[in-house]
Amino acid sequence: MTNPSALGLDADVEAVVEDTDLPPRLKDRVYETLAERDELTIEQADDVAQAVESQYRDTRVDPLDPVGTVSAQSIGEPGTQLTMNTFHYAGVAEIDVTQGLPRLIELVDARKTPDTPTMTVHLEEEYATEREKAHEVVWKIEATKILALGDVSTNVADMRVVISLNEDTLDERMITAEEVAEIIEDQLGVTTVQNGTTVEFGPEEPSYRDLLQLVEELREITFKGIEDISRVVIRREEMDDSPFDADEEFVLYTEGSAFGDALAIEGVDASRTTCNNIHEIYRNLGVEAAREIIIEETKNTLVEQGLDNINVRHLMLVADIMTNEGTIESIGRHGIAGNKESVLARAAYEVTVNHLLNASIHGEIDSIDGVIENVIVGRPVKLGTGDVDLRMGSTSGDTTAD
Amino acid sequence: MVDVSQHELVPEHSVLDKAAIEDVLDEYDIDRTDLPKIKRTDPALPDDAEVGDVIKIVRDSRTTDQAIVYRMVVD
Repeated sequence: MTNPSALGLDADVEAVVEDTDLPPRLKDRVYETLAERDELTIEQADDVAQAVESQYRDTRVDPLDPVGTVSAQSIGEPGTQLTMNTFHYAGVAEIDVTQGLPRLIELVDARKTPDTPTMTVHLEEEYATEREKAHEVVWKIEATKILALGDVSTNVADMRVVISLNEDTLDERMITAEEVAEIIEDQLGVTTVQNGTTVEFGPEEPSYRDLLQLVEELREITFKGIEDISRVVIRREEMDDSPFDADEEFVLYTEGSAFGDALAIEGVDASRTTCNNIHEIYRNLGVEAAREIIIEETKNTLVEQGLDNINVRHLMLVADIMTNEGTIESIGRHGIAGNKESVLARAAYEVTVNHLLNASIHGEIDSIDGVIENVIVGRPVKLGTGDVDLRMGSTSGDTTAD
Repeated sequence: MVDVSQHELVPEHSVLDKAAIEDVLDEYDIDRTDLPKIKRTDPALPDDAEVGDVIKIVRDSRTTDQAIVYRMVVD
């Protein structure tokens, strides 16, 4: 905390500021601002303090204001205008991303994996400015299957699987025929014969079924890149806040996500890369980052649909409550609504009978403190004026109320 | 391993000392357990944080310059 006398402010000024209703951090700011002024009179200091205080009172949420209910309504009403069906947009280079209501539901439900997982991969300086270098990173991320590298044919007469690899593709993706052969031996447990760009192998015992089985398994092998990422799109984008002052940077968009693996890849900028799976963010970057990404994703979903007039404070409140316990909890009966103390509040949400049945089996007691419980039993809710008790005074007539 | 604290989504985390904890709890008039929580296994947690510690988090805020929040470390 700032010491006012250390800033050269006298005791009168300190008294004036300390007299206000401001929180300590705002008082510090007032002291700092006042200390910068020369020849400050006590009246001026008082004016500043009063002005700051009145501004602070105006912007403050009133005591007992039902902020949660206001947020729910503020998101809910514009939410009726969201597209109901999953809507894919071609805006970001042909990558499908779930939009609108399904995406919003996915976020507040805290689904383990989103419908369309995707990463936005930013690159380090030398990779972000050169297309060739950027492509190197693409091949390290995108899963390369055998069909991308060459043709697979089966020779039924000799019971052999023959792969003829495409030399240009091998060069481009920086993998050699030897490596391909080795990976096949490791994964399928067969002995391969490699000759130039041709790799051959077959089942131990001649069997038509085993042969076809091998081909099936071969198609599943990931030779290079990250298994979960089926496609990577590279885009050149204008950048306003590039850390290395480039006007344009190559940015990668992926179909599928593996955030932890992607961060560790050389060339990937681990400080700016993000993904749309809040659980992956939580696992790799912690609960605070998860909170940030929940706000960002919900905000972007709404803005994308033209609903940019929802105050971000409502979304921040949602994210705060979802991350309050240090993990990600969903809104709804498996998360926040389901962990409420009150039986009636839980029963009012979903699966009413189950909650009431379990509560009666375990002999639960409801103290009827919350809003929902009080609405159910028809009492004033403990919000706003409902939580303020007034009592008639019984003093004699000549004393005035203080 | 990737340095998590460098990521732009991760705000600054620091362990609060005993005296400062009392100030914070007095300021908000709450108990330590009323604070939001952070798991002991959280990747963004400073190395020297232990269960029961209070972590001070300085976020870049959307509504003001910086917002300071506190989380208690739990198991």
